[in-house]
Amino acid sequence: MDLRIGHLYAHFLNIYGDRGNIITMVQRARWRGITATVQPIGLGEKIDPDYFDFYFIGGGQDKQQQTIAEDLVLRSDDLHKAVGSGAVILSICGGYQLLGHYYQPHEGPQLKGISLLDAHTVAGNRRMIGNVVVKRDDGSTLVGFENHSGKTFLGSSLKALGKATVGNGNNGDDLYEGAVSGTVYGTYLHGSILPKNPHFADELLSQALARRHGAVTLSPLNDAAEDAAHKRALTLPA
Amino acid sequence: MDPSDTVAVVAGKFTARAIRFMGAGLGSNLPGKLARRFAPTVLTKLSEQAKSGVIAVTGTNGKSTTSGLLSSILRAAGLELVHNKQGANLVAGITASLVESASWSGKLSADYCLFETDEAALPLIAKEVKLSQVVVTNLFRDQLDRFGELDTTAKLISKGILENKTLAILNADDPNVSQLVPDCPRMFFGVESIKGREEKPAATTDGMGPNSMELSYCAQCGSETAYTLVFYGQLGHWSCTKCDFKRPVPRIKASDVEVGPTGSTFVLTIDDRQGDAVVPLPGMFNVYNALAAAASAASLGVTIETIRQGLKNYQTLFGRSERISIAGKSVLIQLIKNPAGASQAISAVAADPSARILVAINDNLADGRDISWLWDADFEQLAGHAKKLVVSGQRAEDMAVRMKYAGVDQENIHAESKLDKALDQALDLVQSGETLWILPTYTCLLEMQKILKARGVSLAGT
Repeated sequence: MDLRIGHLYAHFLNIYGDRGNIITMVQRARWRGITATVQPIGLGEKIDPDYFDFYFIGGGQDKQQQTIAEDLVLRSDDLHKAVGSGAVILSICGGYQLLGHYYQPHEGPQLKGISLLDAHTVAGNRRMIGNVVVKRDDGSTLVGFENHSGKTFLGSSLKALGKATVGNGNNGDDLYEGAVSGTVYGTYLHGSILPKNPHFADELLSQALARRHGAVTLSPLNDAAEDAAHKRALTLPA
Repeated sequence: MDPSDTVAVVAGKFTARAIRFMGAGLGSNLPGKLARRFAPTVLTKLSEQAKSGVIAVTGTNGKSTTSGLLSSILRAAGLELVHNKQGANLVAGITASLVESASWSGKLSADYCLFETDEAALPLIAKEVKLSQVVVTNLFRDQLDRFGELDTTAKLISKGILENKTLAILNADDPNVSQLVPDCPRMFFGVESIKGREEKPAATTDGMGPNSMELSYCAQCGSETAYTLVFYGQLGHWSCTKCDFKRPVPRIKASDVEVGPTGSTFVLTIDDRQGDAVVPLPGMFNVYNALAAAASAASLGVTIETIRQGLKNYQTLFGRSERISIAGKSVLIQLIKNPAGASQAISAVAADPSARILVAINDNLADGRDISWLWDADFEQLAGHAKKLVVSGQRAEDMAVRMKYAGVDQENIHAESKLDKALDQALDLVQSGETLWILPTYTCLLEMQKILKARGVSLAGT
């Protein structure tokens, strides 16, 4: 069995430990005997929508956001096709914002997103920085660190990943955090998010593998270290 | 001096003594804050008494060591300095260092003021102090939760230099630095060659995505930069992929660099003069620190012989590649605070076959509250590390996970959040002939300093 990972704009959106999420996907696959390969997808590079099982798009600096937005719109059709075939996308922070309909800055025109998520983001006046704990519907928790001023609002049909019990989440108003629509995920959590939320990493991994390999049961791993870090993060102040 | 300035100096000095008497930590800002309360112009009035000028050293990594190396060189040249060597590098801390060096009547006797300066504080310092030069070591991502973003930092530094169109001494090899302030007088330093390594296009990714290489774009046309040689992070021989913009030719150069676990050697070139140089500090990053210090000294007219002497005689600062002995065991302490610096420290550890490891991570404001950066640092260099190691600090558990995903066997990772206990456990593991490398974040370093002092270990700069 193998897993093909595409890292969108790896050279541009590479701050805040996004690499930790890629490392986690790769290692958790390898530890189960599943080969994982990672390919960076740069500006202007064509995506074969049939190839990748898992896409990652991270957060960048404001200046790069516009460059990325313009390029991503050109790849919109292919990414929609990929999702249609069961590919998983994990988007974080700036990447998450661009999967929505648009980003409205303080000044100037809207940055158009690719509408994989029924959400939009407006520039806020306050930077939301700190630790976050998210409670999901199934009672599980996600822990991480947010750092954003954009406020993301979800359309009525879109489900959040969960509710922020510590920190701000999508916009600091409704305390919803992140979004999930089928196999498309968005969140503001850095930290990196996947290493200390191994249950979430495995949720993404099994969905991504299912695209070409059918339903898979992941063999259990010893997550003592990850669980300890998760538990510790639950106690951190916002 | 106006009477108010004298009062300010007296108040500041008095506070400094009181703080010392009470046994509080080093590098306190309080005397400076108080002095500024009494006389807002005290920084200007004191710094302008330096006979030959004021030097500011800024950049993400290596500020303390570069200032220390420069201080060693300038002292070798027989010059008298005021230097904020305790690392308090904000406006109040710099004021405090001046107040402490001044006489009770507010007289300062120094050829140069040498200020290690926080990137965000540089424009504020430049407003009050007529700087004669600004040395910029490098621009890596550091504490993004404090500064926001790297571009912001570059703007702050430029603003500080542009205030008086000061001479800028810049790292030619860092495209984030060498493109700064094109309208100011500039002087560049850079590494020419590593012994035995040829120029070739370098891989910028290890398959898991780019690591501590910062994004860099051409300032002229905005395209991505490309490399024929990468030394570490984004430092190397770069050029724009689209236009003719490229790494400037440095006047101060290191060639045939050989990096060893305890120090490095290279051929130092200053314009048309050359000589062998030794820097008694591990890692490539310290070669850059030595070059930055050499460039600054050369611009002040110090001879290459004196520069070589100053580098060779350098005494380490606490926690900056400092070697000490604890209970007969050899220990090296190297502060880590961001991906680029940490990756460099890790490669020095990985190059030492006798290394034992203690990594201590806190997430206080001064450390950066977001520890995501641990994932951008190249801990993968320790993959397969076959000896038991210890992780500690408020985020010991996160560091344990980082080590595990870097490829260290889970059985070999021991987490102990209490630093004094972790130190004992790590020391217990050290066999004869081994060195314990302690890699702490900033507040872990301060805590370690307290622990070691209490145990009567003799430390630099204390």
